[in-house]
Amino acid sequence: MAPGKDENRWRGLIEDCFRREAGFQIPMPDSEQDLIETGVLDSMGWVSFLRSLESASGLNELGAQLTAETPSFESILHALRESKAETQSPGAGASHPQLVETRIPVLIASSSVALGSRRIPSVEIDRAFGMTEGKLQHRAGIESLTYASENENELSLGTRAARKALHAAACGVQELDWIIATSETHLSYPSLAAQLHSQLLTRETCGALDVGGACLGLLNGLAVAQSLIASSRARTILVVTADVHSRVFIPGRVAGELGGLFGDGASAFLLRTSGGNASQNAYSLGEFFFGCAGQYAGAIRVAQAANGDLDTHFDGEALSRAAITRLEKVIRETELRSGIALSSVNGVATHQPNPRLLKLLANQLGLPLKRFPKVAETSGNLGSSTCGVALHSVLQTAQDAPAGDCGPIFLASLGPGLLFGGGWLTPCHHLPRYEGRDL
Amino acid sequence: MTKLLITEITRMGPAFCVIGLQRDKDNIRSIRPVSASANSWLNFPFHRGDILQCDLAPFSGAKPHVEDRVSTRGFQRESVVPEPEVVGYLHKAEIADSLPDLFGCVIHENRTGSGLYAKPLEPKRSICGTRTKNLRLELCGNEIRATLALSSGEVLRDLPLVDRDWRDFIDAALAEGRGANRVARLERFLNSQFHYKILSSPHHFIRLGLTRPYHDLYWLMLDTLFPLPKQEWLEEF
Repeated sequence: MAPGKDENRWRGLIEDCFRREAGFQIPMPDSEQDLIETGVLDSMGWVSFLRSLESASGLNELGAQLTAETPSFESILHALRESKAETQSPGAGASHPQLVETRIPVLIASSSVALGSRRIPSVEIDRAFGMTEGKLQHRAGIESLTYASENENELSLGTRAARKALHAAACGVQELDWIIATSETHLSYPSLAAQLHSQLLTRETCGALDVGGACLGLLNGLAVAQSLIASSRARTILVVTADVHSRVFIPGRVAGELGGLFGDGASAFLLRTSGGNASQNAYSLGEFFFGCAGQYAGAIRVAQAANGDLDTHFDGEALSRAAITRLEKVIRETELRSGIALSSVNGVATHQPNPRLLKLLANQLGLPLKRFPKVAETSGNLGSSTCGVALHSVLQTAQDAPAGDCGPIFLASLGPGLLFGGGWLTPCHHLPRYEGRDL
Repeated sequence: MTKLLITEITRMGPAFCVIGLQRDKDNIRSIRPVSASANSWLNFPFHRGDILQCDLAPFSGAKPHVEDRVSTRGFQRESVVPEPEVVGYLHKAEIADSLPDLFGCVIHENRTGSGLYAKPLEPKRSICGTRTKNLRLELCGNEIRATLALSSGEVLRDLPLVDRDWRDFIDAALAEGRGANRVARLERFLNSQFHYKILSSPHHFIRLGLTRPYHDLYWLMLDTLFPLPKQEWLEEF
């Protein structure tokens, strides 16, 4: 009997992860070959290979299942088959989320951004923070920052982005079932989601939810929205990010090497089930995955001190290393999980700690820099809105492309902790792949 | 003659790697006796807590294994120190509370899979003690791996556990004579009683080590986990 679709996909995944661990020069082992006994992998390599597979398949207990089994491709395939059988047994649905079929596609119906209306050249920021003139430009690659004007704040920027997104999709506020907001600088009550709810005059029964995660906030918000729609608890959700760093990271309160990197901005995304009117180049949310790489927890910490000051610990070098390593890992994992070749993506919407790091990341991944929209170079690090502004930019480019001529989009972001998350979007003309998708 | 308090016996394939503490005036430092031909011992009939008399060449090993000393004669047991006292001495030897301080260098994560490593020429030593906020052991494809949180809050994942006594304990737990569902029973123990027994112990302490170069890098491993396992724990699961 010919191997099924699942079997082929699993074999592909196993081979991809094996290649990553063992390298391309090692011939692919036989299915039943004992990888350790025959010296193909040693115990360190075997565990590392299994961890890659766990992460690519979403089966977090794969390694544990293989205890007391021969370390071979065949044992792994057997464990994958068993996992699928368990998932399909009655009442087992939620234990392996990656094996559960995504039945209701969730579309990004529209998107928008609102940047702080003052654009400040980076030399002015250098001066304000008492740094050598040109430091931000030369060390971080930042040309300018967008700062909120006196009458702008998280609410006004978020509202502006939200209204534009609603308008672009011709969606009335009364259609909204939820507003999901995220901000790393709006630290007061009523919360940002509640204030947006009032400002936009949505229905009283429209939910308002704030999610955290700092720079990872947008991905957290999109994942929550996707779950609400996919479980039929909502049809239309507005996800908003808004950050005004220029009032928090000010000279005298934090060092310029930290405060000088950040700008102000907001983004908004309208999410709907596929039943609505979607443009030909509309995108559908793929899957998201998240985690926390605690070995980098010490690289950045921000807390309110007892005297009201901002207590910041910022190890720039450690954070840069962590950001590059993790973003690369997340993007590679997105490639494995989605089965979409990185070379075929339309764009990569990532967090952008600063432009210099983005360049390094592009180099590590072997991708042209133009696949990463310029955000930090002209606006600075916008916190949770960086990824939002980048995603909006990639979506806009796709919108302008001839119908059907746009590829998938990868998402990757980080937050202090070090939180990480990734995911992907596919153009709606790729939608059939979501029906009956197993891994 | 040198007196060494044996604090580490780790498994290295079929052989054992040994580390002891030596008093040097007011300091206590780690010494790794090695034979003239290998870094490990095929037979090491002693235990942690043994104080051994030995003859060691005065030259230290190359970085980061600066603790290496060639042993020029056999070992002779002089006396035995109880486990809590061994841990007391370890607290006075090399110790650090944060990731970069462990080996005096940046620690990197494996970009393709799991594990943490130091790059060549960077680490200043190859063994260091530390206090943990939490620690967990798990089975992964016939191997045993540790995840732990340092007191700094940094989390280290997937460290190979090479402590001889703990590895012997795991092997004994999975031995065929132990009946059915051995893996599940061991996992249950590691997820429940283990946690209580280790973290509530007044002399809980660990030492992390660096491997010899492997793919040109020095990988972190959990060399020693105190308290050591007790044979009677096997009766509990």
